[in-house]
Amino acid sequence: MRALRVDPAEAVPIWSQIEEGLRRLVASGALAAGQAVPSVRDLARDLSVNPATVAKAYQRLCEAGVLSVRRGEGTYVSDAPPAMGRGERSRILRQGAARYATLAATAGAGVEEASSELSTAFADLEGKRPPGGKS
Amino acid sequence: MNEGPILAAEAITVRYGSTAACSDVTFSVARGSVYALLGRNGAGKSTLVRCLLGQQKPARGRGLLFGEDAWRRRARLMDRVGVVPEEPDAPPAMTPAQIADFCRRIYSTWNAGEFAKRLDRFGIPPRVPFGRLSKGQKGGVLLALALASAPDLLVLDDPTLGLDVVARRALYDELVGELADRGTTVLVTTHDLAGIEGIATRVAILKEGRLILDEEMETLKARFRRIRYGNQMTDTRTAYGTELDPFDAVRVKVRGWGVDAVVANYDDASFDRFQRTDGVVDAEASAMSLEEIFLSVAGEEKGAGS
Repeated sequence: MRALRVDPAEAVPIWSQIEEGLRRLVASGALAAGQAVPSVRDLARDLSVNPATVAKAYQRLCEAGVLSVRRGEGTYVSDAPPAMGRGERSRILRQGAARYATLAATAGAGVEEASSELSTAFADLEGKRPPGGKS
Repeated sequence: MNEGPILAAEAITVRYGSTAACSDVTFSVARGSVYALLGRNGAGKSTLVRCLLGQQKPARGRGLLFGEDAWRRRARLMDRVGVVPEEPDAPPAMTPAQIADFCRRIYSTWNAGEFAKRLDRFGIPPRVPFGRLSKGQKGGVLLALALASAPDLLVLDDPTLGLDVVARRALYDELVGELADRGTTVLVTTHDLAGIEGIATRVAILKEGRLILDEEMETLKARFRRIRYGNQMTDTRTAYGTELDPFDAVRVKVRGWGVDAVVANYDDASFDRFQRTDGVVDAEASAMSLEEIFLSVAGEEKGAGS
């Protein structure tokens, strides 16, 4: 799960960063229904964080119906994970856009240059996905 | 089973001549936690660790291991503790395999297979004399020895000191794996604040022998912020210099562009009000890393808070 990143120095607790990150990956379809997620141990090593922190995020996601545990097999994305609400989705997009706009303005970039960088970033993302991998 | 703390310091005081290396230090390490004991060199960390492990008798107070006096019962209690000392030390002529063979007779819970597997993961040759291994390899051997007895408590005294990036990563991987598999309680002293930030559950800071902070990582991170803002005189403003009061500022610098402060008592609601204070402009609160918090609490800079 290269797309999941946490920053221990952030004000948001790490378990919350993991929870939000996984929620987004599921909501965007990057993690498909029924797909396995890494074990607590593997993800903790990957991110260099306390396994209890990962376990807490997984537990909350299980309670919310995003993930489910198959006994003896591991943890999977639920077959029908709750979709991200419209309000939630636009809130996340707006927050991210505000952060990027601030960063661009600080670097002295105008709206055109910033938009073109955004398009490039999108193209890069799509280039890495399997063809037709829209879901 | 004993539900009390795995490890505790009860008012430990240690003196070297007229200098107090530790002054009245009290704290406890709960089962399953990862407790990071931080401090500058000479702050008293190693002295404190020796008292907690029953290797040194404090002038006053005592260390408690599994609820028992660490000094009086050290021989029996050490069976349940794995220790990686600051200076990896073992007979230089013995190979890791020989050292392990010696240790397995001491510990009732020794797991030779785990020891061999860990050496393999660390890329350490089992049949090269200890004295000829690199610093990182020596540390790896001691960690593998400490974990092979499946200890209830793991004590790491500055384990990343002198390790390169790869060896450090291997150590943290092993530590995380151990936490995942066994939920081992860990006491770690370290200068690698960025490395331990995601792993420690509780943080303590020793300064000149005194414990000046002892808190859950999550609440610590939640209450510290760096606040920067422009401070303007206005026609309607009556009070100056009191705007930071609700936040308990530990450090304030006035710079050309405005005020740069570190506060220890941040919350969103107070910050919302702060932003609307007459004369306060462009206020911005940013999260602080453990290292930044440490510097503002334990740093030596003039004007530092209590």
